Amino acid sequence: MGRTCQPARAVLAFLCALAPLAGQEVKVLERTLPNGFKVLLVERHDEPSIACGWVARAGSANERPGITGVAHLFEHMMFKGTRTIGTRDAVRDGELNRKQDEVMKTVRGEQALLRERLRRGEIQDLRDPAVRTPRLQAALAELDTLVKAQRELIVKDELMKLYGQAGGTGLNANTTMDRTFFHIDLPANKLELWAWLESDRLLNPVFREFYSERDVVLEERRLRVEATPTGKALETFQAMQWQASPYSWPVIGWPSDISSLTRDQADAFFSTYYAPGNITLILVGDFRADEAMATVTRYFGRIPGNPVPPPPVTVLEPPQGGEQRLVATVESMPFVLIAQKAVPAVHRDAAALDILSGILNGDSGRLKRALVQDRSVAVLAGSGFDGMKFGGVFRLYAAPVPGKAPEEMEGLLLEQVRAIQEQGVTDHELQKAKNQIAASMYRRMDSNADLRDQLAEAESAGTYRDFLEEPGLLQAVTREDVQRVARAYFALEGRNTLVVRRKEAK
Amino acid sequence: MIRPILLSLAAGLALQAQAIPPRPEAIAFKPLAFSVPKAGAFKADLSNGIPVYIAEEPDGLPFVRIRVFIKGGAYLDPAGKEGLAALAGAQLRAGGTLRTPAAALDERLEFLAASIQSSLGDTSGSVSLDILEKDLTEGLDLFMQVLTQPAFAPERLDQAKRAIRQNLASRGDKLESIAAVELPRLLYRAGHFTSAQPTAASVAALTREDLAAFHARLLHPANLVVSVSGKFQRKAMLARLDATLGRLKAGPAAKPSPVVPAPGALAKPGIYVVDKAVPQSLVQWALPGLRRTDPDWAAATVLNSILASGDFTCRLMKKIRSDEGLTYGIGGAFGEGSYWRGHWSGSFQTKNKSVAYALRLFLGELDRIKREPVPAEELGSIQNTIVEAFPARWGRKANVVNLFAGERLVGWPEDGWTDYRERIRAVTAADVQRVARTYLDPAKLVLLVVGKADEALAGDPEHPGPLAAVAPLPVVRLPLRDPLTLKPLS
Repeated sequence: MGRTCQPARAVLAFLCALAPLAGQEVKVLERTLPNGFKVLLVERHDEPSIACGWVARAGSANERPGITGVAHLFEHMMFKGTRTIGTRDAVRDGELNRKQDEVMKTVRGEQALLRERLRRGEIQDLRDPAVRTPRLQAALAELDTLVKAQRELIVKDELMKLYGQAGGTGLNANTTMDRTFFHIDLPANKLELWAWLESDRLLNPVFREFYSERDVVLEERRLRVEATPTGKALETFQAMQWQASPYSWPVIGWPSDISSLTRDQADAFFSTYYAPGNITLILVGDFRADEAMATVTRYFGRIPGNPVPPPPVTVLEPPQGGEQRLVATVESMPFVLIAQKAVPAVHRDAAALDILSGILNGDSGRLKRALVQDRSVAVLAGSGFDGMKFGGVFRLYAAPVPGKAPEEMEGLLLEQVRAIQEQGVTDHELQKAKNQIAASMYRRMDSNADLRDQLAEAESAGTYRDFLEEPGLLQAVTREDVQRVARAYFALEGRNTLVVRRKEAK
Repeated sequence: MIRPILLSLAAGLALQAQAIPPRPEAIAFKPLAFSVPKAGAFKADLSNGIPVYIAEEPDGLPFVRIRVFIKGGAYLDPAGKEGLAALAGAQLRAGGTLRTPAAALDERLEFLAASIQSSLGDTSGSVSLDILEKDLTEGLDLFMQVLTQPAFAPERLDQAKRAIRQNLASRGDKLESIAAVELPRLLYRAGHFTSAQPTAASVAALTREDLAAFHARLLHPANLVVSVSGKFQRKAMLARLDATLGRLKAGPAAKPSPVVPAPGALAKPGIYVVDKAVPQSLVQWALPGLRRTDPDWAAATVLNSILASGDFTCRLMKKIRSDEGLTYGIGGAFGEGSYWRGHWSGSFQTKNKSVAYALRLFLGELDRIKREPVPAEELGSIQNTIVEAFPARWGRKANVVNLFAGERLVGWPEDGWTDYRERIRAVTAADVQRVARTYLDPAKLVLLVVGKADEALAGDPEHPGPLAAVAPLPVVRLPLRDPLTLKPLS
């Protein structure tokens, strides 16, 4: 810690106050069940609740072109119930699912014909009811009948109801490029309910209402991407940044993939990636670890392990052939975003990149001082390092003052990096960034749910130990390290620049 | 080989003894006691009468959080100076203090990994400190400077005005920011602060003197309530607060903030459409509601939870999202009505052509809950959900003291939540039907649709019916506005 710098008295006091916390505050108990589940337990008794969750190391990076969005759609399907939950008649429900899948085969056959007509320019819109063939129209009508028959048997959203009545709050899930995370906060006496419901949906999931849920996801896509001013530009920018890497496609998927995903594809995704060996269970809160472990073992231990591990992501992103730019004219405040491809979250240079960002960022950081305060050319300026599992991005961004073009920000942002490449940073700046990052880490473990989420993120990019070791790694970063990463990761060949210009509303 | 076999036998017996129940309802849970925290247990008064809600967390992380709630805000903006409260609120912190220039304040707080934040909203605001326990003496000094001696540095004011201008210019970009301009204009009469919004001109006209005068007016002990939580000894913390905030005296310009004025005449019902070229429309609804102190509040809460909580279990989600796949989410709430009765309002987004069909389904659900008594099973399940989730609202100590302080500032009755669960339990199916019939009157609906107007008005050929046929309400097309002046664009 603090290898080369001579910390001033205040700094020493700061380190003294925080350093012991790293060891004392978070005691993570790690266990592994015989079938492969990893279990992380953190006892904290300050309030009578438990933050529960599990993370599957399966995200959009595990997809391939044609089935983009399957990880996210699958996340939605995990709320649709099981053989026990969500239906009055599991047998009849299963028959109706199979019949729906049969009809959907006809639908897909007809849609293939329509795609062919689209390719030849004979029709404009696949989804226009007017272009449907009679067979397609009949199949869709039959599907509608089957869906309505199934609806009679469905106990709507029973999982949510059971959790809600038990005092559960914050029930949700989310999917990223690297993982899918399912979580809920429960009163301390309801741990067994979590074990029951979660082990049940890992053991016996039924993906009912599959086809209408694709429409929900298409609406979600419109909400997040298509009906927002910068959604499409940012999606295109991401696709441009990554060439070989699966990070190039959006987590929510391309629209044509979402509307053609099949239940078989969801089944295959489940059996490959939702095996116990690919999942970490996490509990943080008011329980006794031995009792919690007994409950977890009893319920999750019944799920068969999969001897075949999921296929690894083997893609290594090749170097870019040069700098890339995207200029988007949309209805948005103008801004510029420079994204430099950097390293994964667990890379040995990640801590120095975090510190570099800390020094550039903030009210008293170099970017805001130069662009917003001294030169008055920007209304905001900042930076961030985002490390993912298989890669990372260091971002610089700024929005100009009225009357200035976003392009004018680019040189000024890069000038700040160049100053660090050439002259390095001061001891004071280094210590300030360390103080801020250390304190923000502790603030991020304030509540049980915060800590659970941090552990889940760490488990998706590496292991929870990375999270526990992070304070030490950050404190060990030197001025030389910061200067070295500033020199290493800002080459033109790793640079992607998004320029957003304002398009006036009509 | 004997031991392992014996062990697994024992394990097998244990497993048999605790078979997994066939359904989760069969699990027996240990009882969990929860009693609603009482405001009095957290309350203290400073020498000058400022109330403090205090919660110590001896085993918590080494941070201290202090928040001074301020009564005052945009409702005090003079005509032509819209945006004053918001700018003054932000510049308390951003503009530095008389003793510590803005840049030095930024630098020191960031070195200490601390934050001081300040803001003023429509009717209230706050200045807050979040700092490591060991730096409290210095932090409290800086905090008091921000609260009592702001400098409102001219260069920081200019910076902020440039940023606000860019933000104002973006008001027409997003569906929700267009709705945020239009809905208050539909719901509240012109001249009331709720529908008075800043323009580029009103912000440009604001001066350093305006900000200083606004601050001097608000800084009166009668306008302040304090919350504090974190790692400290209660007695020592109260002594510290009394030696700082407790010495605050009203200056010559300080005034207790006046009563927040009610808006008067309410909306003209109708379906209002703003044309915006996007593939999905935002739909917002509003109906006149009630106040939290109304005897029907508990029944209205249950009604909303059944119909529109936004959870998967509510009827609108089941119908419009889960059955029909028309939206990612739909939900609403009865506004608490801090100073006058609130609205029952909510929103959803759906592709343009589905707006009319989704609204028919929406109105169908409103009608159904008025016609048919809620089945006992559904009512009980919703009541359980509200009652059982209630303790989670009180989890963090900071939340508890902030809630008490905020309610004190508004003037809600103290300990209004104590019998909340009992009141929810007491709601009957007849109560739900009665409040539904009282408050869900489609003839009074204000519906705002922001999206591609032609498509939304025409409706979906697969579920025929234009938007105008959805309800016997006038359809009114609203123009887009110039985001800087808010004048209609031709």
